[in-house]
Amino acid sequence: MKKKWKILMFYIVVLCLLTGCWSRKELNEIAIVTALGIDKSEDGYIISVQIINPGEIAGKTSTGRTEVVRFTANAGTVFEALRELTTDVPRKLYLAHLREVVIGEPLAKEGIGKVLDFLSRDHELRTDFYLTVAKGSPASEILNVQTALEKIPANKLFSALENSEKNWARTKTVKLDELIDSIVSNGKEPVITGIYVYGDHEAGGDFTNVQNVSPNIGLRINQLAVFKKDKLIGWLNEDASKGFNYITDNIKSTVVNVPCQNGKVSIETVRSKTSVEGKIENGKPKIHITINSEGNIGEVQCEIDLSNQESLHKLEEEYQNNIKDKVEEAILNVQEEYHSDIFGFGEVFHRSDPKAWKRYEQNWDEEFSNLEFTVQVEGKIRRLGTITESFQNETRE
Amino acid sequence: MKSRKPIPLLKLRKRKHSQPGQSKKDQNLNINQNEDTDQEQAVPIHLHRELKKNIEYIKQMVGNSSDIVIREFDLGQTGEIKIAIFYTDGLADKSFVNDFILESLMVNIRTANLGSDVLSKKNIYEIIKSHSLPAGEINELVDFNKVFYHILSGDTVVLMDGFLKGLSIGSRGWADRGVQEPSSQTVVRGPKDGFSETLRTNTALIRRRIKDPNLRIETKQIGKKTQTDVSIIYLKDVADEKLVQEVKARLKKINIDAILESGYIEELIQDETYSPFPTVYNTERPDSVAGGILEGRIAIVVDGTPFVLLVPALFVHFFQSSEDYYQRADIATLIRFLRYFAFFLALITPSAYIAVTTFHQEMIPTPLLISLSSQREGVPFPALVEALMMEVTFEILREAGVRMPRAIGSSISIVGALVIGQAAVEAGIISASMVIIVSLTAISSFVSPTFNMGISVRILRFIFMFLAATFGLFGIILGLIMMVLHLNSLRSFGIPYLAPNAPFILKDQKDNFLRLPHWSLHSRPALINQQETVKENTASPKPPQPDEANQ
Repeated sequence: MKKKWKILMFYIVVLCLLTGCWSRKELNEIAIVTALGIDKSEDGYIISVQIINPGEIAGKTSTGRTEVVRFTANAGTVFEALRELTTDVPRKLYLAHLREVVIGEPLAKEGIGKVLDFLSRDHELRTDFYLTVAKGSPASEILNVQTALEKIPANKLFSALENSEKNWARTKTVKLDELIDSIVSNGKEPVITGIYVYGDHEAGGDFTNVQNVSPNIGLRINQLAVFKKDKLIGWLNEDASKGFNYITDNIKSTVVNVPCQNGKVSIETVRSKTSVEGKIENGKPKIHITINSEGNIGEVQCEIDLSNQESLHKLEEEYQNNIKDKVEEAILNVQEEYHSDIFGFGEVFHRSDPKAWKRYEQNWDEEFSNLEFTVQVEGKIRRLGTITESFQNETRE
Repeated sequence: MKSRKPIPLLKLRKRKHSQPGQSKKDQNLNINQNEDTDQEQAVPIHLHRELKKNIEYIKQMVGNSSDIVIREFDLGQTGEIKIAIFYTDGLADKSFVNDFILESLMVNIRTANLGSDVLSKKNIYEIIKSHSLPAGEINELVDFNKVFYHILSGDTVVLMDGFLKGLSIGSRGWADRGVQEPSSQTVVRGPKDGFSETLRTNTALIRRRIKDPNLRIETKQIGKKTQTDVSIIYLKDVADEKLVQEVKARLKKINIDAILESGYIEELIQDETYSPFPTVYNTERPDSVAGGILEGRIAIVVDGTPFVLLVPALFVHFFQSSEDYYQRADIATLIRFLRYFAFFLALITPSAYIAVTTFHQEMIPTPLLISLSSQREGVPFPALVEALMMEVTFEILREAGVRMPRAIGSSISIVGALVIGQAAVEAGIISASMVIIVSLTAISSFVSPTFNMGISVRILRFIFMFLAATFGLFGIILGLIMMVLHLNSLRSFGIPYLAPNAPFILKDQKDNFLRLPHWSLHSRPALINQQETVKENTASPKPPQPDEANQ
């Protein structure tokens, strides 16, 4: 009995060692990919990866090499191209820390469904990266730009997307799950934020760029790309982008400029809540949007008596109108130009009246284009800031 | 393996506990030791009636050992009464022997007023025993085993010509370290006295803390050559009778030539030898022992060592310090949580680091991963080898630090800082993060209030590192599951090792991970103690009520 145990233990120990730690990868054997660019080529895809050079970023001594390295490969599928990169990259590509996927505009116009398959199928990828569309240049060029301040360009994009969504409200962060959801859903179409390179595209990878106090070349995010299913069909302008975020209740904080006498007042929206209701009225679907927005006075550039109730009410009215205009403009713009329900009104109907939705589902794009809607905005101004009267009023008198 | 299993408590009740030699010593009222000697080893050799032959035998047995003192002298008018005293120089208190034994026997007995009795060869034994020895501890001896035991323990033995029995007088007194502050379990608040190498001092320290007639100190000799005194101490009305019998039975089974330290006893009576976890508690602190005895546990004091054993010892006991009960309850509870946390840190920090950096890089936040991976640039070894190197180096340093003469201690700390430190990182042998991991592990392993538990962590840490290097986090979890299963299978003197957590005893949770205020700790631990379970009944302190104050 005892002998049997000993033999069994021996086999167990040997078995452990024989596996040889097959999935073991030491930290200095992997290449951490932070951004992935996908472009269309004639017979497949051009894949570009942005790999970080850890020694340069966190090491104590800088050797003057770049912090990130871009590699590209051209192959029939995304997966094949990534494997083909091993001929160029000395280490195994590690995709779990991907922050950013950039898709070239031509590819987006043709359809992104095929490339998304790899992103959602591969086990190594987490789904917490953001997807963006490169505007005006191939994705590989976006990845070829050295950014100032943030050493890793992908990180710069990642935090810029998050911050501008929170504070500027004209962009939107899109993760893989949400994107695939809206591609598949009949009552909702996807949008993706765009990125473009400003300055000389070619010189973006030059190290001297980031040695400048005011870098000539950089990356900027703006505008939302409108998709129909998985194909890009156009871009929303900035106001419409903001209107889109109001409708989808994606406003955390933003700035609204309202006119007053001979100047402007900036109001900082601090809280906003949108509810969208769908109803069938007289056999026609109708959307009712209610927005509750609260703001603080952020900047005053005109003569106005803020201690006066009347003038504050006036400001509130302007504030409401401004939001209402943007929302209406966004909807009309999309209805006329793109016929793509990026606001998810279809899903609202689906939820409120599933039976009726069945009737409209097949023909929803057409229905959406002729959809009637009402917008009601309830705007309130809560605080005036640390001063009430602007000192400009006194200097002018 | 089979023979080491604990004897079921029920079987013990049927076994009769034979106590030979009890009847012979009935008259000896002054004995404070219950000499429950079950010496089965030697056939007793009885004393001879002639003193000369006795002396010859003793001389023959001890050879010409220079420290055995034999003093012969005569008594009576004509010197017809021959007496000899025997003691060991260095073990017996010389001034006591001279002032109270030799002086009374050689000088005072001649002038003593014996009433009607006349000093003669016939009654000398009775006269000496009842009149002439101003000593507290006197034993009657009939065989040589006893004679040698008493002489070699520091007692003085008196033999008289013409008697088949002799007397031993307690005269033990040797150079002692005295009661000093314990070196292994220091406290900030609490008593600073510690056990020493002398059994009597140690039992006195315990007796001083529990002045209860129910406190039993039962002594026997273990070790054929060393004849080491081993006392078991317990509270008769609190300790479980079955447990006391179990401890006695296990001690009785010991058949060994020497007991030099309580570690011998610990290893000979513990439930499970092949386990990294200790099932016997040892301490240098009398207050810890007193606390254990009051919980119904049994202390085993061994002569010649300041380390006293406490059984049964459960997993939670190794995370409790006596200071927990002297400090405020809130901080004591927090510190207990800290100890468990440190235990897990010491156990799995290196293995978790290996697993995460070689298998699960996706779990590390990106900035941290970049920083870790930049430190690993240029390190030639895999993470496991790196960790093993550092851990082994640390173990070497620690061992060197313990064994080394004090005078060269500072040189080790200087060299040690080089080996585990910045120099090793700069040499490109290991990464900086590994230094932090190893240091964290080292500090955490010292948090344990008992040295024992720290040792089990040291052993297991290496197993976990190998598991992590082969299977990643999966291996660590497997290891933890196996560890918990093993802990569940352990028993300490029949008590489940993980009690009161498994089996879960709600009542005992008041003093487990938590340490509630003393006024709420009403009962003693349920499994250990089954007799007098009520510990205290103090009402919780309250401010004086206003109407009471008015009256």
